[in-house]
Amino acid sequence: MLKNKILTFTEYVGGVTMLLFRTLGWLFVPPLKRKQVIEQMSKAGVDSFSIVFLTAFFAGIVLAFQTAYTMKQMSAEIYIASLVGLSMTRELGPVFTALVVAARVGASITAEVGTMNVTEQIDALETLATNPIKYLVVPRFLALVIMLPLLTIYADFVGILGGFIVGVSKLHIASHLYISKTFDALVYKDIFTGLLKAVIFAGIISIVACYEGMHTRGGAEGVGRSTTLSVVISCMLVISADCFFTALFYFMF
Amino acid sequence: MIEIKGLCKSFNGQKVLDGLDLCVKKGETVVIIGRSGCGKSVLLKHIIGILNPDAGEILVDDQKMAKLKGKDFLKLRMKFGMLFQGAALFDSLDVYENVGFALIEHTNLSKEEIRLRVHQSLASVDLVDIEAKKPAELSGGMKKRVGLARAICNNPEIILYDEPTTGLDPIMADMINDLIIRLHRQLKVTSIVVRHDMISAYKIGTRIAMLYDGKIIAQGTPDEIKNTTDPVVRQFITGAAHGPITDNRNNGYNSKICPPDRQILG
Repeated sequence: MLKNKILTFTEYVGGVTMLLFRTLGWLFVPPLKRKQVIEQMSKAGVDSFSIVFLTAFFAGIVLAFQTAYTMKQMSAEIYIASLVGLSMTRELGPVFTALVVAARVGASITAEVGTMNVTEQIDALETLATNPIKYLVVPRFLALVIMLPLLTIYADFVGILGGFIVGVSKLHIASHLYISKTFDALVYKDIFTGLLKAVIFAGIISIVACYEGMHTRGGAEGVGRSTTLSVVISCMLVISADCFFTALFYFMF
Repeated sequence: MIEIKGLCKSFNGQKVLDGLDLCVKKGETVVIIGRSGCGKSVLLKHIIGILNPDAGEILVDDQKMAKLKGKDFLKLRMKFGMLFQGAALFDSLDVYENVGFALIEHTNLSKEEIRLRVHQSLASVDLVDIEAKKPAELSGGMKKRVGLARAICNNPEIILYDEPTTGLDPIMADMINDLIIRLHRQLKVTSIVVRHDMISAYKIGTRIAMLYDGKIIAQGTPDEIKNTTDPVVRQFITGAAHGPITDNRNNGYNSKICPPDRQILG
């Protein structure tokens, strides 16, 4: 029993890693499917704007309110600006965006690729002398790796805006002071590490989603099962990768 | 020429193909018959290289399928056309992009030429003016015909048909039979056809092979198969409910669910 579980786990990790390397290999084999990449960028990125807006905006508001609760006791409300700015760019922006995208885009990738798999469309691609990794995985991988950092920048900005609204309207901090305090605290390193994380999360989400899709078995039920698995696994991996890289960056920079 | 030697394949410990040997000469139309789930589709997927055998080898035009990599493999693939059981059209593309897929992806033909070729392929399966439709808007039979048009669009030398006429009305089914015969006669296309329907099998096949228990147990011209004395083949081609095939099954796991008649009588 335990042996089987270990085997399944190792097989999974091996499979995902292999898919990642193959994708990276095919990424540099011309021609690049520009039309598909742009289509996927629109699906994964542009269509996620509203949901990322809401998530980041509320996260910023909540963060400002919760810290105000403690800061007030020390009359240090002004530091809320720095705190919101730093937390959003270093941590919450990348992680929340990645989780939202894993649920929205990762699930749709798995469902689409999985359905293609159970209806033999992936086999059909191969019979038409087209590599499924080149045709299906590379455009999705590339689209997410480009779009997730952009969405993260957007989320950082919107989150800071949420904090700003609370700070200015509710806690009566002068708006110019809030803005200057936010930018005083931020250095390039904060934004850069956040974006680096976003790139890594994008890789995790797209590869896990495609792997699950390409290993879907057993009709509609199988598609449902692998879609759930895809979201659960990519969310877990995003959180653990975040923990790992936060620790790494802490010691590195 | 396609040579299959000692092909074995198991899925989750269950043997599907067990030392299968088959040779298909250039320009032949071989019909593979056998019960549902006996591994006919699996065999086709091995021939085109989607599945890798556990043991044995497949040679296409004296090239070992398993040894080919990269461009050579893709070149070999372009010699093939395959019609899938469920058509397997790409949902996200329209009929034109589906049928012309291989030409759009792998050739430098102009748009006009591709459009012409797509039009010709569709016309040969009796479809006109549906290039702009999405697969979801087509009926089951139309999907199948578009699938066939896609398989023949890049003028392949070898065409694999996985139950080409299932789900079509009898007239359309016979038209597809005629098309297979025409491709065979005019273009000397090598065809491997998987099917259950014996009337069509006699009509289109230059040779018929029966797959049973993971092996080819009998092969010959349609007349030879028609007059065979092999009890297993006889049961299949006459479509009898009782005989060696079903008795073997019933002695196994199915015996409690549907006992053979003589047990009930005896």
